[in-house]
Amino acid sequence: MPLISLQDVTKSFPPGRRGGDPVRAIDNVSLDIEAGEIYGIIGYSGAGKSTLVRLINALEKATSGTIIVDGHQVTNVPDRQLRKLRLDIGMIFQQFNLFNAKTVWNNVAYPLRVAGKSREEIQARVTELLDFVGLADKASNYPEQLSGGQKQRVGIARALATSPKILLADEATSALDPETTHEVLRLLRRVNEELGITIVVITHEMDVIQTLATKVAVMDGGRIVEQGDVFDVFSNPRQASSQRFVSTVVRGIPAPDELAALRERHAGRIVTFSFRDGDSSQASVFLELAAAGVEFELIYGGINDIRGRAFGHLTLALTGPGASIDAALASLAARTTVKELS
Amino acid sequence: MDSVIDLSPELWVATYETLYIVGFSLFFGGLGGLLLGIGLYTTRAGSILGNSAVFGTLNIIVNIFRPIPFIIFLAAAQPLARAVTGTGIGNSAIIFTLSLAAAFGISRIVEQNLLTVQPGVIEAARSVGAGRLRIILTILIPEALGPLILGYTFIFVALVDMSAVAGYVGGGGLGNFAIQYGYRQFNPWVTWAAVIVIILLVQAVQFLGNVLARKALRR
Ligand SMILES: Nc1ncnc2c1ncn2[C@@H]1O[C@H](COP(=O)(O)OP(=O)(O)OP(=O)(O)O)[C@@H](O)[C@H]1O
Ligand SMILES: [Mg+2]
Repeated sequence: MPLISLQDVTKSFPPGRRGGDPVRAIDNVSLDIEAGEIYGIIGYSGAGKSTLVRLINALEKATSGTIIVDGHQVTNVPDRQLRKLRLDIGMIFQQFNLFNAKTVWNNVAYPLRVAGKSREEIQARVTELLDFVGLADKASNYPEQLSGGQKQRVGIARALATSPKILLADEATSALDPETTHEVLRLLRRVNEELGITIVVITHEMDVIQTLATKVAVMDGGRIVEQGDVFDVFSNPRQASSQRFVSTVVRGIPAPDELAALRERHAGRIVTFSFRDGDSSQASVFLELAAAGVEFELIYGGINDIRGRAFGHLTLALTGPGASIDAALASLAARTTVKELS
Repeated sequence: MDSVIDLSPELWVATYETLYIVGFSLFFGGLGGLLLGIGLYTTRAGSILGNSAVFGTLNIIVNIFRPIPFIIFLAAAQPLARAVTGTGIGNSAIIFTLSLAAAFGISRIVEQNLLTVQPGVIEAARSVGAGRLRIILTILIPEALGPLILGYTFIFVALVDMSAVAGYVGGGGLGNFAIQYGYRQFNPWVTWAAVIVIILLVQAVQFLGNVLARKALRR
């Protein structure tokens, strides 16, 4: 059974002004997240990502549909029960949302106090958590005295305080510089691998998905338009919005304006070969072209690595007798994806 | 000049009475205003107790009573003061009426300061399973404490101002002193002495408020 399961979930907000239409932030979404995964949710601003994760810990109540977390119904349960459920779900935020009036120590201790832990338990757990995120020396500092990356590490420690099974990360790195982003992503990876916590990461940055997630869902207009293994979605995005996201990190097939520029500089026919882990190797493609007497030049593309699996698109300019090119392409098309750009 | 020295025992009594009236009014009015302000903040649409009927009612009540000039409020609320404190005149009556009037003003200051707390911080507290009362007491008020202290300091000064009319209902204090011994007896020195005491009082409290607020804000 999946750890988190959404079935036909819809969330409408009342219209912003009188007489307007209600806003359908989440539109009939079904989604299963298995224990141990790092599940990425990507989409443009307003796609409904934040609303979706806020439904998981019931900060927002679904208008219709069913949400089950760790075997417990989240929809239509009394507040008291929800509060208990939230001890099992940690959450971190883009703006960190630390308690500014409390020290780092008291920020991390807060969920434990809410959970009614004893003084000794709190003492031990906070010490352990601050060690885990590498901030033991900042225990008595206030949030305003920390850098963005340190603040997010406090946020992570606070979210993990009650040893939840799930961590929800809403744009957790969007306010950080690239260096700090990687530091926080590494920490999240450790949270997943060392503590076995299932993570749901929301982002509009494709490289966060690329470096962290195992599964991804692409959201657009309140719907999930595509979901699957990160490798599959990256190497072969089917929907237009997924393709736009993928193209931000994957140098794949040249866009029309890029193609026009390439044409000006290169003679011959322009063909894109797409490779995926397990397909025939690039070397065999090059060998076959050479054997057929086709001259080629690599003019665009790149190879990407996702958790040890490679895929990529290479665009070549081919020159030589038309018939030999046709024959070679026909034979290669059986083994890899070939697309002539016209 | 000499009359000021002659009247110095009365001046001290008046100072004491002002502090007494303002202190109690700040306490009761402050408490009432805090509760009313928290009520306004929490029942606003989208807040933790979002309830537009309650919010609308509180909002209208505050809007009706807050702008009434205090001297009129004092007269209008006299029967109520008599019913509650047993007397319509004197310091108890003025403390009652002043607390009531101040509570409406304070509620807006409290509401405004609570609104400066980032909603995300409240959301973080909700996300760890904290209940509403706990959030109000352990997150909302501590997060807004610095500006709240400054707000209450501001109210102290306003209360000193409002308490000056206590003489009209038989109350004491520096306002009464200045009018009775200074204005009515054509003795500006006496009036000025009262003014100086008020200035010193206000300065001292403002200083204290600033220090406490800075401590709360750690700046
Ligand atoms: N409390 C609310 N009341 C009314 N409408 C809301 C509310 N919260 C979200 N919405 C609307 O729901 C839609 C989805 O919002 P959401 O915050 O989930 O998007 P998002 O994908 O997280 O965007 P971003 O990347 O900007 O954070 C938007 O149209 C938004 O205006
Ligand atoms: Mg969002």
